[in-house]
Amino acid sequence: MQTFSWLIKVVLVGLLMLLVAGCSVTTREVGSDEKVIYDEGYHFSDKKAIVDDMATSLLTTYPLLRATDRPVLIVYGIANRTSEHISTSAMTDDMRQALLKSGRVRFVNKIQRSNIEQETSYQYGGNVAAETRIQKARQVGAKYMLTGTLRSIEKKQPRQFRLKKKTLMYYSLNMELTDLQTGLIEWADSTEVIREATKPFIGW
Amino acid sequence: MTASQQAGFGFFCQFSYRFFVLIILMLFLSGCAGRLNKASDFFHAGDPQRALSLLEEGDNLGKRNRLLFLLEKGLIFNQLGEYQQSVNQLLEAAKLIDQFEVVSLSEQAGSLITNEWMTRYQGESSERLWVHSYLMMNYLLLGQYDDALVEAKQSLSRLEKNPEALNADYFTRALIALCFANLAEDNDAYLVYRKLADDLPSPALVATDIVAHAERLGMVDEVEKYRPFLSQSFPEGESELVLFVANDRIPLKRPGNVILPPSFRFSFPYYSAEKASWPRINILPHSWSYRPLLSTDLGVVARQALAVRKARIIAKQSIRIATKEAISQSVGNKNDVAAEALVRVALFLLDEPDTRSWQTLPGRLTLVRIPLPAGRHRLQVRLSAYGEFDQVIDLPEVQLRRGQRKFYSVRF
Repeated sequence: MQTFSWLIKVVLVGLLMLLVAGCSVTTREVGSDEKVIYDEGYHFSDKKAIVDDMATSLLTTYPLLRATDRPVLIVYGIANRTSEHISTSAMTDDMRQALLKSGRVRFVNKIQRSNIEQETSYQYGGNVAAETRIQKARQVGAKYMLTGTLRSIEKKQPRQFRLKKKTLMYYSLNMELTDLQTGLIEWADSTEVIREATKPFIGW
Repeated sequence: MTASQQAGFGFFCQFSYRFFVLIILMLFLSGCAGRLNKASDFFHAGDPQRALSLLEEGDNLGKRNRLLFLLEKGLIFNQLGEYQQSVNQLLEAAKLIDQFEVVSLSEQAGSLITNEWMTRYQGESSERLWVHSYLMMNYLLLGQYDDALVEAKQSLSRLEKNPEALNADYFTRALIALCFANLAEDNDAYLVYRKLADDLPSPALVATDIVAHAERLGMVDEVEKYRPFLSQSFPEGESELVLFVANDRIPLKRPGNVILPPSFRFSFPYYSAEKASWPRINILPHSWSYRPLLSTDLGVVARQALAVRKARIIAKQSIRIATKEAISQSVGNKNDVAAEALVRVALFLLDEPDTRSWQTLPGRLTLVRIPLPAGRHRLQVRLSAYGEFDQVIDLPEVQLRRGQRKFYSVRF
C-alpha cells in the first residue's frame, strides 16, 4: 500500500515537472537556410526557396543567358492572389539582390524615383556647386520588366466525425520577363510549394 | 443541534461561500460586458472618440470578451476614418477566430454547470463574416487592393462554410465581386456575380456586371442570357466612385427563457425583429444616377445565423439542464431538502443566456456605385433613412482617371 502511495507521488511530481518545463520560455537562433514550418501557411523559408529557384532559372535561360551588355531591368512587383496577407515586395527585393549579385544585370530604382526627383531639384535649387551637380536626363531606361503573380489553392477535408482535420495548401509563383520595346514575353517560369498540415479539433 | 442539522448547516456555509464566489464572478463578467455596452451607447450617440477612450481604459476586458473588444475597436476606428488602425484590430480578431476552431474541453465542461458567459465569445457566423467585410472596406479605402482581395477570398471561404446563414448578405457578396473586378480578376468576379444573380430577387441588379465580365471572358451564351435584363436607364461611365453607406444599428441580442417545473430554465439568446430602413440617396450637384443598390439588412443575416446555430444551442442547453438536475439531486440525496432547494435556486439563477454581440455594427450596409466621367469631381451625398433627406455629406474632391475606382465610406 505504501509503495502504491509512493508511486502516485512520483507520478504527480513527474507531471508537475513536465507542466513547469512546458511553461518555461525557450529561445534559439534559427539559421536562414533552416526550414522551420509550423503549419500549412506561407513561411519565410518558402521565400528563400522560391527566390533561389526563380533567380537561377532567369540567369540560366534566354535572354539573360546570352546577354553580354548587362541589360537593365525594372521590377513591377509580384501580385498577391493568395488568401493570405503575404509581403511579395520581400520576394522581389531578394530576387533583385540575387540577380545583382550575379553581376549580369542592372536595375532601375523604381521605388526611389520620387526621392531621386527631389534630390535633383535640390541640386538645381541654387545651393549646390554647378560642377558637382548631376546631369539631368541621363537616367537609363529599362529594357525588360520583371513581373509575377503568387497564387494559392487551399483544400480542407470535409466536415465529418474525427478528432483532426487535414489542410492541403498549394502555392505557385509565376514570373515573367517582358521586353518593354516589343511587348514580348522573353522568359517565364513558375515554382511551387505544396504542403499538408493536420490540426486537432479538440484541445484542453 | 442534531448531527444531520449540523451537516446541513456545514453544507449551507460551504455552499454559501461557493455561491458567493460565483455571484462575484458573474458580477465581474457582467461588469466587463457593461463597459462594452456603455462604449456602444457612446458610439451610437455619435461620440465614437469617447467610446474608444472607454475601451482603451485599463485592461482589454479579459480573455472571454477579447474578440468583442477587438471587433468594437475595429469598427470605431473605421468610423473615425483611421482605417489602418481598424485593420490592425480586425486582423487580430480574425486570427483569434481561427484559434476558436479548436474546441476547448475545459471551457465547455465549465460552462455546463454555469452558463455560456463563462466561455470565450467566439462570434456568430455572421459576425465572423463581417470581420472580413470591414477588412475589405478598410483595404479598399486605403488603396491596398491586393490585401482587399485576400479578404475577399477569406469572406468567400466563410460564405462557403455557412451558405444557409449568410447567403442573404448581398452587400458582402457584391463587395467580394468588386475586389475581384478591381484587380481585373474577371473570372472570379463573374462567378460571384453569377451566384448573386441566382439569389437576388432579380438578376437585373447585377446584369450589367455579368454581361461586362462575360464579354471579356468570351462567354457569348452568358452575354445573350443576361442582356435582356439590362436596362437603358442604368448609368455608364468611364470611372466609378463607390460609397459604402451604413445606417441604423444592428438589433441587440435579447435573453429568452422557457421555465419548466421543478426548476428547469431553458435560456437562449435571440435577436429582436427590428428592420433596418433602406437609405434614400441623392448625389449632388447633378443628381448623378447610380447602379442598382445592393444592400444587406444585417439583422436579417444575424437572425438567420443564430437560427442555424439553434440545434447546437438546444443540444447544449439540454445537457446543461441534465447536469444541473443531477447536481441538485445529488445534493438532495446527501443533505436535506433545503440544501437541494438552495442549489436549485442558485443553478436556476446562473443559467443566464449569453447575449453578447458586436454592438457597433450598423443595421444596414449598402453598396452605392456611381459611374462618372474621368476628371475632377466635387460631390455631395444627401442621405435619409426615413423619408425626407436629413443629412448632407460633402465628399472630398476626387480625381478619377479613365477606368479608375475610388472608395468612400459614409455612416448616418
